[in-house]
Amino acid sequence: MVIANQELVFQNKEKENRAAELVIANQELVFQNKEKENRAAELVIANEELVFQNKEKENRAAELVIANEELVFQNKEKENRAAELVIANEELVFQNTEKEKRAAELVIANEELVFHNTEKEKRAAELIIANRELKQAEDDIRKLNDDLENKVIERTAQLESVNKELESFSYSVSHDLRAPIRAINGYTRILLEDHAIDLDEDSEKVLQSIIHNSKKMGQLIDDLLAFSKLGRKQVTLSDINIAALVHVVKEDMIFDVHENVPQFVINVLPPAKGDQSLIKQVWINLISNAIKYSKNKPTINIEIGAYEKENQVVYYVKDEGAGFDMQYYDKLFGVFQRLHSQQEFEGTGIGLAIVQKIVHRHNGAVWAESNLNEGSTFYFSLPNIKTVQK
Amino acid sequence: MSYDNVEILFAEDSIDDATLTIRALTKSGFTNKLQHVLDGAAALDFLYGKGAFSDRNILEHPKLILLDLKMPKVSGMQVLEKIKTDPQLKSIPIVILTSSKEDPDIKKCYELGANSYIVKPVDSDKFFLAIKEIGLFWMVLSERPN
Repeated sequence: MVIANQELVFQNKEKENRAAELVIANQELVFQNKEKENRAAELVIANEELVFQNKEKENRAAELVIANEELVFQNKEKENRAAELVIANEELVFQNTEKEKRAAELVIANEELVFHNTEKEKRAAELIIANRELKQAEDDIRKLNDDLENKVIERTAQLESVNKELESFSYSVSHDLRAPIRAINGYTRILLEDHAIDLDEDSEKVLQSIIHNSKKMGQLIDDLLAFSKLGRKQVTLSDINIAALVHVVKEDMIFDVHENVPQFVINVLPPAKGDQSLIKQVWINLISNAIKYSKNKPTINIEIGAYEKENQVVYYVKDEGAGFDMQYYDKLFGVFQRLHSQQEFEGTGIGLAIVQKIVHRHNGAVWAESNLNEGSTFYFSLPNIKTVQK
Repeated sequence: MSYDNVEILFAEDSIDDATLTIRALTKSGFTNKLQHVLDGAAALDFLYGKGAFSDRNILEHPKLILLDLKMPKVSGMQVLEKIKTDPQLKSIPIVILTSSKEDPDIKKCYELGANSYIVKPVDSDKFFLAIKEIGLFWMVLSERPN
């Protein structure tokens, strides 16, 4: 039994050891358990991390799929482009060849051009010289023109001042020249009227001559002034009933005539455009001339008429009077020019000069035909009213 | 010399023209008292009683004034203008005498109120006639305002 006991004690001891070991093992297990729990917790976290990463990779994969599709598309595009480029390249090659051909042609053309160019340069050089000459000529002409223009301006100014001078001259002629003539005439008349008793027949004749001549001088001055005034008078154009105008002039002219009354044949007279008062003066002068130069004929026959010529109307006054010698025709319309003596026909020689001046101021013409002792015809033209109005 | 009862005032610087004009008036039967002065200044002196005319009764107006245009000192036109702008004198008829119908002043004279004008003709017959007519018209025929 002691052995058994010892055995038992031993066994007990053993068991206690084992228990102690178990406790330790247990503790170890507890520790290990704890560790495992920690690890499990870490694994849970790691797992979540992996889940997250997985998700990320899935997303990336999806994106890659899209990118891939894109690349495939781009690839296709590039292939197309490449194909096009191949075609374009072939085209370029063709064009290149063409251009080479063209270039060869151009080289030839160029040489041609170089030749032409040289020619043209020569020509250009010639032209430059010719041009220079022309320019010189042009400058000369311009200078001449300028000179001429200056001269015209200068002359016009001179003419204007001469004209002014003439105007004041004609006024002072009128004023100052008439005064002494008036005195001569007046005093002579006083002699004749108040001292007749002291005068013999001869003296009276002389005094009559003085009166007659001073009167004539006054008339000359008046006529000259009237003539010079014509040049300054404004021409105011209107339609003139020539037939009516001539009728009035004729009636005035024969109003006071009782013997050898002029016989008139008046044909159709178309109207005209002109200055009524001036044209009336033309008719007065021509008709009174016709009467005056017919005074020595047994009957005074005057024909008045008109005809149209181009765009003018030509009027005429025809008489059967003294006429004139056509060799003196150039003097007919001159101022103070007379083809007859005062003894034959009185006059100052201004009437036809006035007619000419008036007609010229109407852009018309005046002319005459005559046979000595057979009569004269005076013509004047005025713009035809029909063509003027068109 | 008395300046009373002057009916015609006549201003004319040319003695010749004056002599002939006065003779024409006399011959035509105008024996009215006439005062002849030699320039426009004297004409105004007469009307306003100055200078040589200082003792004249200026309330007595002439019936007619004959004025030559071209006169020394004061021209006929200046006299005309003075008279026609004076309320006391403007009703006196004024006849202008001129040497020429070309006289550029004629138009102006009418504008200033001249009653008529005579061109002194060379032919003294015509001159007499003109003077006679003018004298007859203005001295006898035309009615004066008062």
